[in-house]
Amino acid sequence: MSKIALHSPYAASGTFTMKRIAYTIGWIFITIYGILTIYPLFWLIISAFKSNAQFFNEPFSLPNQWVFDNFITAWTTSKMGIAFRNSTIVSLASLLFTLLLSGLTSYVLARFNFRLKGLTMLFFVVGMLIPIHSTLVPLFILMKQLSILNTYWALILPYTAFALPTAIFILTAYLSTIPKEIEEAAYIDGTSLWGVFFRIMLPISLPALSTVSILTFLHSWNDFSFALVFISKSSLKTLPLAVSNFADGFQTDYSLTLAAMTLSVIPSIVVFLLFQEQVMKGMTAGAVKG
Amino acid sequence: MNSTTVKRFIAVALAPSLILYALFVFIPVLWSAFYSLFNWSGIGEASFIGFQNYKELLGDSIFWHTLGNNVVFVLASVLGQVPLALFLAIILYKSNAIQRFLRAAVFMPMVLSTVVIGLIWNYVYHPQIGILNFVLDALHLSSLKMEWLSDPDIAIFSLIPPLVWSYVGLYLIIFISALQNIPGELDDAAKIDGARGFTKLFKITLPMIWGTIQVAMILCIAGSLKSFDLVYIMTRGGPAHATELLATYMYNATFSTYRYGYGSTISTAIVIISLLLIGTSQWLTSRKK
Repeated sequence: MSKIALHSPYAASGTFTMKRIAYTIGWIFITIYGILTIYPLFWLIISAFKSNAQFFNEPFSLPNQWVFDNFITAWTTSKMGIAFRNSTIVSLASLLFTLLLSGLTSYVLARFNFRLKGLTMLFFVVGMLIPIHSTLVPLFILMKQLSILNTYWALILPYTAFALPTAIFILTAYLSTIPKEIEEAAYIDGTSLWGVFFRIMLPISLPALSTVSILTFLHSWNDFSFALVFISKSSLKTLPLAVSNFADGFQTDYSLTLAAMTLSVIPSIVVFLLFQEQVMKGMTAGAVKG
Repeated sequence: MNSTTVKRFIAVALAPSLILYALFVFIPVLWSAFYSLFNWSGIGEASFIGFQNYKELLGDSIFWHTLGNNVVFVLASVLGQVPLALFLAIILYKSNAIQRFLRAAVFMPMVLSTVVIGLIWNYVYHPQIGILNFVLDALHLSSLKMEWLSDPDIAIFSLIPPLVWSYVGLYLIIFISALQNIPGELDDAAKIDGARGFTKLFKITLPMIWGTIQVAMILCIAGSLKSFDLVYIMTRGGPAHATELLATYMYNATFSTYRYGYGSTISTAIVIISLLLIGTSQWLTSRKK
């Protein structure tokens, strides 16, 4: 179609209807896709409330009776409560260490100039290219030798280590946008570098710190590979590991499995719903490292 | 404050991060390469055997099959996730409530544990109570029912939908940021020139975000090589290595058959292949400019 035809008022209605049709088709597709994409999760939660019998016979209807027993059994007998505790401890500890270490590192990288600065930044960036599974075997051997296998440290340390590059990336970027005058006043006043760090830099970086916290928490909470390799004591298993045990072998108590799975995803979903923008921006920032 | 104080602060501030990172990320890779030269069952003595493990690897048909599976994943990601995410992004990049809801819905799987994702999809594919077979029955397409996860020929392909479902949200948001960053003036200029709809899409929008598309492809490649959890949970690499990936093969070699040396060899191979792929894709896409 020539430009003249496009601009002509007579052609307007033609393109208008075409656009309308394409638009509608696009929206139908996207709505169907949206429903399909949410459905598995919806199905999971609904099914967790069913009894085993109903689950087998009517996998897709709403529960006849909303059964809470599954959740109680999962929490107590199947030790989901313990797994919850372990996951919480490990995730919170990794979070704290990551915040502290990445905070310090980002402060230095964003505010100071020193000879090896470029190399340091390169160091962290290159590390992001390393496939984490290649570290499983040597870390296993290392931890065995340090006798920290089957302890909380076996997870806290690697989680923190692997969270560092993203955290540093996000924090450094954020700190670079903060005018230097803010610390300069403090320096002139005689505040020590440590004082400036704790009393000025950390509070000011709160938005970035909260993004880092959420990301580190989610990654630690959801990690499976490290937990699988480094933890074998059942009293120390984190949620993903504990839930995966339900997938093994002869588990036919589907309702129990579903309840356990639902319990484990509740924190993640809650965090996501509360902090949507931050989670989405944070995860993409971490992935697209410039 | 003098420069010695500053230097000391810098050192102290950086030390923990550097040490932790070096110890848990870099050094293990080097160690892996070191262990790959040995034959070791994990306990007792390790015997040095030079590059024999590598020779074995190159002749190992399972290794090559595994590599092929990884390639299937990479292709599925690049040809599946990226275009799908792009398509969704183009529809969903404005800011009204429905679009935000749909964006969140598509992104949601990113915050779920891979274990849960794997188990949910196990149920989807379940021969008796699975959603997929149920839907096929309802649509009177029962003849299409298959042993989705136990048929060696199709198992690896059955793993693609969960993979796409998990990660498409990430690429969606990446593309949406890119689309939202296109300057408004370009939109207006396009209107004035009469470029609309598909013309606008292909001649203006896509070229503007080409850089982001390239990055997304690199991420896809790197990400697909990392797949371990999903496959481990859903099929353990079976049946009979049909869905084995490099990472699961490495895991099995080390922890199931107690060949730490050989497992380390596969580990090192993963690193080399990753670096090669990333390097190649960087080189290929930068030449396009």
